[in-house]
Amino acid sequence: MANFMQNSVVSYACTCGLVNPITKLFFCRHCLKLRCGFCVCHEVDSHFCSNCLENIPSSEAKHKKNCCTNCFNCPCCQHTLSARATMVVVPKKTDDSPKEGEGDGVKAVTKKMYYLSCLGCRWTSRDVGIPDQNVATGAWPENECSYQTRFNALLEYYQAVVLQDKQEKQEYLRRKTPKAHKFPSLTDRTGLTVSMIRRQIGWPDKNTQKAKPVNITPSVATDELEDLPADVFTQPINLRNVSNIQQRHGQPSDQPFTVNKLYPQRRILWIKRSLRCRQCEHNVIKPEYHPTSVKYRIQLFANYHVPDVLLVRSEEVLHAGKSGSIILKLTNPTMHDMSIKIKELPTLSEELEMIEEFKLACKIKENTATSAAAESLKSITSSPSLTSTTLSRQTSLIEDPRIVQQKANVKLNNSELNFVLNQRDDSTEFDEDVQTPREEPEFIIWRKSNKVSIRLPFTTDESLKVGDLVKVGFTMEYTYVNTVTNTPTSHTLSARVFIDAGQILGE
Amino acid sequence: MSHAEHNEIKIMAKAIVCEDCSLIGDITISPGCVIHPSATIIAEAGPIVLGENCIVEEYSTIAFRLPTDNKIDPAVEVRTLNIGANNVFEVGSRVEACHIGEKNVFESKCYVGPCVFVSSGCIIGAGVRLVSEQKLPENTVIYGRNCLQREAIDKHGSQTLQIDFLRKVLPNYHHLRKPNYDPKKMRIAT
Amino acid sequence: MEIVDTYYSKDEYVETASGNKVSRQTVLCGSQNIVLNGKVVVQTGAIIRGDLANVRTGRYCVISKNAVIRPPYKQFSKGIAFFPMHIGDHVFIGESAVVSASSIGSFVYIGKNAIIGRRCALKDCCIIEDGAVLPPETTVASYMRYTAKGTIEGGQGNPNFVPAAMQDQMVDYTKSFYEHFLRNPQAG
Repeated sequence: MANFMQNSVVSYACTCGLVNPITKLFFCRHCLKLRCGFCVCHEVDSHFCSNCLENIPSSEAKHKKNCCTNCFNCPCCQHTLSARATMVVVPKKTDDSPKEGEGDGVKAVTKKMYYLSCLGCRWTSRDVGIPDQNVATGAWPENECSYQTRFNALLEYYQAVVLQDKQEKQEYLRRKTPKAHKFPSLTDRTGLTVSMIRRQIGWPDKNTQKAKPVNITPSVATDELEDLPADVFTQPINLRNVSNIQQRHGQPSDQPFTVNKLYPQRRILWIKRSLRCRQCEHNVIKPEYHPTSVKYRIQLFANYHVPDVLLVRSEEVLHAGKSGSIILKLTNPTMHDMSIKIKELPTLSEELEMIEEFKLACKIKENTATSAAAESLKSITSSPSLTSTTLSRQTSLIEDPRIVQQKANVKLNNSELNFVLNQRDDSTEFDEDVQTPREEPEFIIWRKSNKVSIRLPFTTDESLKVGDLVKVGFTMEYTYVNTVTNTPTSHTLSARVFIDAGQILGE
Repeated sequence: MSHAEHNEIKIMAKAIVCEDCSLIGDITISPGCVIHPSATIIAEAGPIVLGENCIVEEYSTIAFRLPTDNKIDPAVEVRTLNIGANNVFEVGSRVEACHIGEKNVFESKCYVGPCVFVSSGCIIGAGVRLVSEQKLPENTVIYGRNCLQREAIDKHGSQTLQIDFLRKVLPNYHHLRKPNYDPKKMRIAT
Repeated sequence: MEIVDTYYSKDEYVETASGNKVSRQTVLCGSQNIVLNGKVVVQTGAIIRGDLANVRTGRYCVISKNAVIRPPYKQFSKGIAFFPMHIGDHVFIGESAVVSASSIGSFVYIGKNAIIGRRCALKDCCIIEDGAVLPPETTVASYMRYTAKGTIEGGQGNPNFVPAAMQDQMVDYTKSFYEHFLRNPQAG
């Protein structure tokens, strides 16, 4: 990371085939595979306001339409508004002197009045005509949409229609599968039992509230429009009073033409999300609940489990068709020794085999999941909210694996490189650098505790031209000790690494 | 370029000018001004008169430059850049305007080109670049990357409180240039 | 890519006992009010105004060339006061940035030419992009990225805007920056 914001030159291929730097990847400890942002399920963990950093429970967030109660955005530049105080002298008449205009009876009280002001563009709430409030968190008026009543009426009508449809469908399902036996069994839900008893006694059916949608008048399209005023082409426009598109979109209900009708908008809430592996449904990332905390409850980042490859430099000027070499620095982040093998990338047929295997595993998982879902569906008869509460979560869609788009255009000189990386030991940071002489393969340049620097020679493709990017790709096989189960088991995992080695400079 | 050959800096009484700043050319600093260290004032095309109670912060540049195409003609009368009172030039601002009125605020890292006529009460927002020739009406606020403009209805507060504070604090930490120009003495002499 | 070693000459930088590497060509006003907590790199041309109020930096901070660190002020009816400024650990402040925030958390990356308005509050693990302009008194929450366009995006757990392992990345970056910023080995 010579420059923090630069795109990383080293990227790893995830199981779905997309290529990402290691900072964007996660490692699922149960499937022992790399996961990228698309291979995980993003779930909302908590809501918070990015300005007041207040945590808002999700039910309240839904009720408030995902807006913060206290924070407002400037309608002019969309930055945060802050409340400013001014001292206002308010004359207060006492009861004793009913005469008006007498100086004795009138007392002047200084009160603190608050107004909203934007520090980015110097807009204030007085520009629109909003009166100053007594309290800093005062009730700032929201602009009422003129269609609000019609909108509410439509919403109620359609909710009633949906409820009626749902009830009819339930009735139909119930009628379609009649009970074989006469006696009501204990496993039935209460609704059925009561209605059977009532029928047997001879009482009329219990009145289940049938949602009858109230008929509303449909909207009528009209052809008549207001005429444009006669001076619309001759009247000079003061561009400062005309709102721009961004300001209008910030207030979608009425989208005013002039700036003096722009009201402050409530700030929208942000979420903290937790990520879940789509295949094994285990959490990969789970942040803390508190908005200001930066810790994670569960953090399975890739660079804690997968060896990190860093490009130190490219040794020689790269030419097409000639051999070159790069120096890589590998780091072992785990607490166990790792033995690493560097091999060529899998060929196209091998890649397709891997994709087929992955798809097969997904199908098996889907079948078991859907059968479980069908079971749970059968046992439900008359619960009002079918979708959200009974199924714990929806079956997630697995990202289709694909062939990696990035192709390496070099060939490695050596077919396989084997070496061992020591475990991570934080105490050696403070030790003096003692190099014990040992037999090292010739490609290892430098070694220190859990880091090693190797030289990787390769030959570039003949067909590359001057200015083409050289991409070095290899498979890194490493041993990983899985500590999830009680007895740690050792596995050999592989990761496909792609490195931007630079450009072809000369012939 | 005879104007810039020697520095003629007149600092009136009660102006706080730090030693570290670079003042080039014929510059008059009125009473009440505060010039922070590492500020730059370049009077290349003529003298600059800095009005009262101006604040010039660090790394800001006020320049009165020669026009790039015209050559200086000694016979033509010398123009003076009169900067009005109560202006604030924040950190990193570069102002080369042809006219600066009063009570303007030039926020951090703004750039005002040589053909801009700045009237009074304007606020040039942070990072704004004004290059083309224009005359800014009074009480204009320019903000944002795209230099959006709007009319400021509320006047921004004065800087006297800040100047008082700086006048108390800066002498404790910095070497200051001594005032060397007393208008009364000059009048008596002539 | 790994950071390459950059060398400075002995007479350009001073290395203090606590490991701070401070250039001689900086303007440190009121140095008795400036606390650099150790292993901080202050490059040439930086200005830290300790004369206005206290400035406190955490460990492994990097203040790049021509950056201006200025404590914020607040105007009261009776006068103004400059407030002390707190910068957390492992903060990288880019070249020519103007920082007037009242507090900066730890593990923050501030890009070059950024303008942080006065009394802003930057929480831990946020990113301010190159050239961004923050209006005064904005709060940037943790794991949020303030873009050069002026929008705030991100959120903890969102891998697209701020990397999820931002804390470790900033620790690595600032530590390796410090370790690769070396004194020129004397020739001969």
